[in-house]
Amino acid sequence: MVTVAKEQKVRVLIAKVGLDGHDVGAKIVALGLRDAGMEVIYTGLRRTPEQVVRAAIEEDVDVIGVSILSGAHLAHLSKIRRLLDEQGAADIRLVAGGVIPPEDLPALEQAGVSRVFVSGTHVSEIADYIARIRE
Amino acid sequence: MDKPEITRLQAERWRREVRDPSVQQAPERQARFVNDAGDAVEPVYTPADLDAGGFDYESHLGFPGEFPYTRGIDPAMYRREVPIVSAYAGFGDPRDSNQRYRELIGLGVQGLSVALDLPTQLGFDPDDIMACGEVGRMGVTVSTLRDLEILFDGIPLDSLRSVGSTANAIGPIVLAMFIALGEKQGLDRRQFTVALQNDVLKEYVARGTQIFPPKPALRFTVDALEWCVHNAPHWIPLTVCSNHIDVAGAGSTAATAFTLANARCYLDDALRRGLKIDQVAPLIRLFLNEREDFFLAVANYRVTRRIWARLLREQYGARDPRSLQIRIMGYAHGPRETAQEPLNNIVRITMGALTCFFGGLQDMRCASYDEAVNLPSDEAVKVAIRTQQILAHEFGITSTVDPLGGAYYVEALANRMERKIAEIMQVVDQLGGALGAMERGYVQKTITAGASRRQQAFERRERISVGLNVFPVKAETRQQTFRIDADVERRQVERLQQVKQERNQDQISATLAEVAASARDGRNVMPALLDAVKAYATVGEICGILKSVYGEYEPDRSF
Repeated sequence: MVTVAKEQKVRVLIAKVGLDGHDVGAKIVALGLRDAGMEVIYTGLRRTPEQVVRAAIEEDVDVIGVSILSGAHLAHLSKIRRLLDEQGAADIRLVAGGVIPPEDLPALEQAGVSRVFVSGTHVSEIADYIARIRE
Repeated sequence: MDKPEITRLQAERWRREVRDPSVQQAPERQARFVNDAGDAVEPVYTPADLDAGGFDYESHLGFPGEFPYTRGIDPAMYRREVPIVSAYAGFGDPRDSNQRYRELIGLGVQGLSVALDLPTQLGFDPDDIMACGEVGRMGVTVSTLRDLEILFDGIPLDSLRSVGSTANAIGPIVLAMFIALGEKQGLDRRQFTVALQNDVLKEYVARGTQIFPPKPALRFTVDALEWCVHNAPHWIPLTVCSNHIDVAGAGSTAATAFTLANARCYLDDALRRGLKIDQVAPLIRLFLNEREDFFLAVANYRVTRRIWARLLREQYGARDPRSLQIRIMGYAHGPRETAQEPLNNIVRITMGALTCFFGGLQDMRCASYDEAVNLPSDEAVKVAIRTQQILAHEFGITSTVDPLGGAYYVEALANRMERKIAEIMQVVDQLGGALGAMERGYVQKTITAGASRRQQAFERRERISVGLNVFPVKAETRQQTFRIDADVERRQVERLQQVKQERNQDQISATLAEVAASARDGRNVMPALLDAVKAYATVGEICGILKSVYGEYEPDRSF
């Protein structure tokens, strides 16, 4: 399964969970990843963790990138990770970006978030990380 | 040869004989200087630059308080009154915020805009599953009139210059709550002023708290405007915003053009209802923004007054000076407040605040230096207020009207901006106005393309953030961030349940049914909303019943 996947483009779901409506960052990252040769799907605003996980499984993505600025990052990301694991999609990696205070990073790592990109991160850095994620 | 021609020839001579040879010997810091609008910035500006654009003092600038109001809407401006010190505040539960409001007023705040949490802005009550984890986080919860009563406990609405909220999709509901609160405080509506954002159109492209599809949402918004025309003509039921459109990526020039197009959309809807332009226009103000470029910001504020005055007089036939004198509010920010080294943001915000003073604004607020990290701390809120007060009262900035008026650079920028805004507004017109341009994705594409350009410029270090992409410091000591009490959600749900037990359920059913009936029949919903909020119907209940009539917005998955 892994060998087949390596032939294909990396598939990424960019997701906006929770209620915040600022999706410029999410769209810039989506555009940047598409320009870097990945298959990118965007969920649109205000998806629930359930909707994100369903879309990720249906679209057979390698990575979910969650953009969150509202402050409810820990609750939403933990739930997405848990739902993925419960639904046999433990191989889908979870990354996040947005307004996330650095002191929350250990808790997010604990909750199974592979990587958090804080504000100011270059899109190219995110693309490089995700491109290597299946290695 | 006349004087301007001599200046033009002298400027060419200087460039050819002095400047170019000098730069060939020792080059400038950059090959090109470009502003956020994407335009080249010349090495120096002279009267020749103004003449090239057909500049005429009387018709372009005129005098303060006179058409076209470029230099200000009031003859005395800040010699009479400095910009109102406003604050955008709210967090946690209404009791926490009430405490913060009292402190703000003690520091000299004159206008309060209630920051609502996202569930409230989106029409979800605190016990709704969608609200989970967000109650009281980005603002305060106001799910019923009871919450607003607590929020303004001991703060009579007439003790402030204005009270209001950034409510947009739910703007008319919050308006109804303020009307009801004024009545409960025993005030006549003429004694206080409610100033709302209520600008739902920009939500679909830039801010994202839309609930209903655009057309019914427009109608809902204009219901609030129409109600105020007849019942509270000195209130500001609509603040049309360029701020969010600019920051989302459009840049200030396109953002101002889209904002004026949105304003036209609201005005046209009001006129279709039979209102007269001079009844409606004086109730509207603008919230403009430009954070990337100091002089572009000053030009934007000043030239938008001129564009507005001409638009209203020439295209709408407005005659009342109050229709032509557009009031402008601003929110002083830096280009990007950084989470890294947050104290640096004080300098950025100060510069942003200075553009508001040079722009001749009526009402402004300063951001808090820690907003990039979390909800503002007490200390940061205090510094923000002091920043505005220092600029107003120290340095002599407010001693004369429009001190940058006539600056060659600023006026050249203003003239170019005016031309570009006219071009973009023409495109919007051809696409069928603000709604058409949005349906066809023109506004969204402009925003996303601009955002990508800014990001690339940042990554190439053409767009500089000190301490972030230049002079970065690896290790830093972080300061304490302000956190919301985790118990807020539980307390809010409890209060909501208590309100629900105490209220008259028959009255709720009847008033909600009337809200739905008004919306369905195309009547103004304000009277029905007022009855519903007085009966303590929740924001969630009212939005729920309105969704059954208006429908719900479908998320846009394009990028």
